[in-house]
Amino acid sequence: MAAPIRVLTAVPICDGHDSAINTINLEFIRHGIEVVYLGYHRYATDMVRAAIQEDVKALGISSYNGGHVEFFSEVASLLKKQGADYIKVFGGGGGTITGNDEVIMRRNGIDKIFFAGTSLTDMVDYVHKQYGGPHKPFRGRKPSADMQLARKLTEIEDRYAGRKGKRSTLLRKASAGRLSKEKRRSKKGGTRVFGFTGPGGAGKTTLIDELVLRLRKREPKARIAILSHDPSVVGAGALLGDRATMINSQNECVFMRSMATRGQAGGLSPATEDCLKLLAQSGFDYVIIETVGTGQEAMPFQSGLVDKTVLVMNPDYGSRLQLQKIVMLDLADIVVVNKSDQERARTATAEIGRRLDQNKRSQVLVSTVANRHRDAGVDELCDLLTEQNV
Amino acid sequence: MSKLGQVVEAVENYNEFVLKEVKRARADEAFGQQMVDRWNDVKAKTPIGTAPTGLKLPRLALPEIDEAGEITRYLLGEGLPGEFPFTNGAYREMYLEPLRELEAGSSGKVGKNGKHGPSKNGKNGAKAAPSKAVEVEEPTRLFSGLGLAEDTNARFHFLTGHQRSARLSTAFDGPTLYGIDSDAEGVFGKIGEGGLAIDTYEDMVRLYDGFDMGSPAFSASMTISGPAPIIMAMYIAAAKKRFGAKVVPNLRGTIQADIFKEVQAQNETIFPTEASLRFLCDMIEWTTREMPRWYPVSISGYHIGEAGATPVQQAAYTVSNGFAYAEMLAARGIPVDQFGPRLSFFLDCGLDVEYIALARVSRRIWAIGMRDVFGAGPKAQMFKLHTQTSGRSLVAAEFKNNLTRTAAELMLAYMNGTNSCHSNSADEPFTTPSEEWIRLAAHGQAILLDESGIFKHTMNMLSGSPGMKAVERAVETAMLEEFRQIEEFGGVLPAIEHRYQRSQIQNAAHRYEQQIYDGTRPIIALTKYNDLKDEMPEVKMVRTPRAKKQLQVDRLAKFKKRNAEKAKRALDKLADVVESGKNCFPTLIETVEVCSLGQITGRLQEIVGHFRPMV
Repeated sequence: MAAPIRVLTAVPICDGHDSAINTINLEFIRHGIEVVYLGYHRYATDMVRAAIQEDVKALGISSYNGGHVEFFSEVASLLKKQGADYIKVFGGGGGTITGNDEVIMRRNGIDKIFFAGTSLTDMVDYVHKQYGGPHKPFRGRKPSADMQLARKLTEIEDRYAGRKGKRSTLLRKASAGRLSKEKRRSKKGGTRVFGFTGPGGAGKTTLIDELVLRLRKREPKARIAILSHDPSVVGAGALLGDRATMINSQNECVFMRSMATRGQAGGLSPATEDCLKLLAQSGFDYVIIETVGTGQEAMPFQSGLVDKTVLVMNPDYGSRLQLQKIVMLDLADIVVVNKSDQERARTATAEIGRRLDQNKRSQVLVSTVANRHRDAGVDELCDLLTEQNV
Repeated sequence: MSKLGQVVEAVENYNEFVLKEVKRARADEAFGQQMVDRWNDVKAKTPIGTAPTGLKLPRLALPEIDEAGEITRYLLGEGLPGEFPFTNGAYREMYLEPLRELEAGSSGKVGKNGKHGPSKNGKNGAKAAPSKAVEVEEPTRLFSGLGLAEDTNARFHFLTGHQRSARLSTAFDGPTLYGIDSDAEGVFGKIGEGGLAIDTYEDMVRLYDGFDMGSPAFSASMTISGPAPIIMAMYIAAAKKRFGAKVVPNLRGTIQADIFKEVQAQNETIFPTEASLRFLCDMIEWTTREMPRWYPVSISGYHIGEAGATPVQQAAYTVSNGFAYAEMLAARGIPVDQFGPRLSFFLDCGLDVEYIALARVSRRIWAIGMRDVFGAGPKAQMFKLHTQTSGRSLVAAEFKNNLTRTAAELMLAYMNGTNSCHSNSADEPFTTPSEEWIRLAAHGQAILLDESGIFKHTMNMLSGSPGMKAVERAVETAMLEEFRQIEEFGGVLPAIEHRYQRSQIQNAAHRYEQQIYDGTRPIIALTKYNDLKDEMPEVKMVRTPRAKKQLQVDRLAKFKKRNAEKAKRALDKLADVVESGKNCFPTLIETVEVCSLGQITGRLQEIVGHFRPMV
């Protein structure tokens, strides 16, 4: 089985019309395409950076409030300038994009414009037909570090595609090449790897993005990698939507990669471990990995590659009894009760605190409100993670 | 239970109350007679007008019933136009032409406090009072914005040549909607597209040039939400510059400023929701006190509808958002009878059957909720509505059909007693309307209201048909069910945080799109009778030339240079007020005199953060 086609979709700067793109995303996913969705009101530079890092086959732009000739052309020219025009640009804007516009846009490097009245089926077919082939090798001058890293990640991911059942072999191979913590540390400066997990809706993505904002402020020269996961739809593609909400992570100093779980349970993808290993060796100061929303029995970070594991909880996890069943409460280095402005948070924090005391390990409990600007809890979490003595 | 849960109970209680009263009218002869007498009185006092053909018609049409129970059901269940629960209209007489010959003593009566049902505050019963003089303003209000301020100003003058009064409606370009200056990185192509560019209050001075901003015959509407308080401050500053400070209490108009629907559907919001709501409440608190003729929020379903919601979802989310604002403003200590009358609403009107009664049901639920849950007086019970015909119902294929679509939608909007109305131009699938098509859009409304006799002789002309009643009942039941779903999350704000409304809207949008292509929803000339396929029409595109965009950037540069020193101090002062938690709106009115939109937004975002988009 071939690896699913990955495309990036987005809406241009100063445009919030996301109805069309949401519908198109859904339709793509149903037809086996993995969609990295960057969201609306996005700069051309952000789109190009994301497309390169995600190593997508194509970038789809949906524009409804004018200025499309300039915007699409800017995207195409940025891609070309970076030697990344192997990523094709397509898009549409209902009737706002005229035939004359299309002529100019195509001349400026746009692959395809879908006019008003194009059916969803036609779009899906086009993507399958035109962007379904193997990845094109880089041409011309030396590809950038982002491009090379992105391509290596693609190769790892594709290697696992369609190899259900053979996973253990691959994993063993991967483990053989695993570096010990000490060895990695001995590299210049050292890379710190943080693993974030927790149930869906706990606010992991927001928390990581707020953390990135603080890391960027404290260490402006730091390079950060994020490996984020979203679930694949059964028998279909996936919507990889974390970039859309991670506004602080769309930045030159962040390399972000979105992965679909592709049928694997437990919060990660079959290819995660190898991808993580590669990132940990790629000279980043921080590597942050986020699982999909996980269940009680999940224990995603068993590889030994993660320096600190963070379990993010929602105050409304149900009864105290439920806490006994959450395996990660035994394993996590840091437990965060996010949304701690909620009514139930005080009780939750007390209950989780007692649960952690049973473990008699030096686990830390932090309360945060990630969606509050300048939240002191997130500051504290940032301090904990960046402390030098791990 | 949030207030929304209480609203559901209040509507159910009111419906039960009506049923009980119907029974009582049948069982209790004295009460029954009282209702019949009132009915006969209303009929007797209804003036008779004359159509140009000589036909005599009552100014108010009522169902032909004479039985006490049915009369009670009508009077209490839907009410006369302008009477609680306002199903038939927020006001009397709305579209009627003035009586040619006023028969003495025959003017209609209106229930003064509009109350009939059980009430938590005050007395029952309706006192008769003379109706107000017939409004000379027509409902027509056409949304316009293109290029720079002077281009939109020219469009305003063109439009007011095609309507009786100066009722303007302003559309802003993308950078303005997102609180970004025209000189920001990457936005050059967007300047003046889809609306006009506003960077400073000087643009606002140019925008309404030649109009008497303080006149009772002038009103301006501004469709902007994310940076609404800043734009409102610019409007006030511009009016003060032209007419002096005394003009402020006379300013009439509406600013959209609806943060909830932005987060649920339209995505043009720039601060975190909590901060946006604080700035909004600051503005509402100030304007409802200082500018009593201004509507500082237009609670909008239009964009929810355009994003793909079903009509019921649209109305349910809009009305529930309205109650959430009311709850918030009441919690802040603003009296309900101060802010209530200044809340206004905005709905989409498409071609689905629900639109036959959508506004009627919305008015009824709003009135009952405001009276019985919030204790509002009659003026704060009225759901005052602006309607826009549906943009998403317009298609590019054989686009002249859009004239027919819009005409049908206009008919539905006026059947629903909208107080204000925008009709789309047929060329809108392609472009900001050109003069040719916007002129026809304006004429469409004039044909319906001035030329045709449908609405100008008789109030209530088309309301209350069995079909309309059937839709009304189904829509009300479905809207209350939506309220219960929202209440399950703990109210509007928690439901928003759980993406409830967003995901419902997105699912509906996807279903709609699929239905177009599976034939459930035939679209004429697109999926049916589409033999002219693949011909791109020749449409005049309205776009902003490069030189104009550059002019806007240059103007902004000059403004920034001229005010550089003052701007720094003004922004520091604003920041202090914002950090202090005090109402920052009065300071904002000073800030805009020396700072650009983007400068202010940027500074505020440093303090309160950025909006984190929802997928």
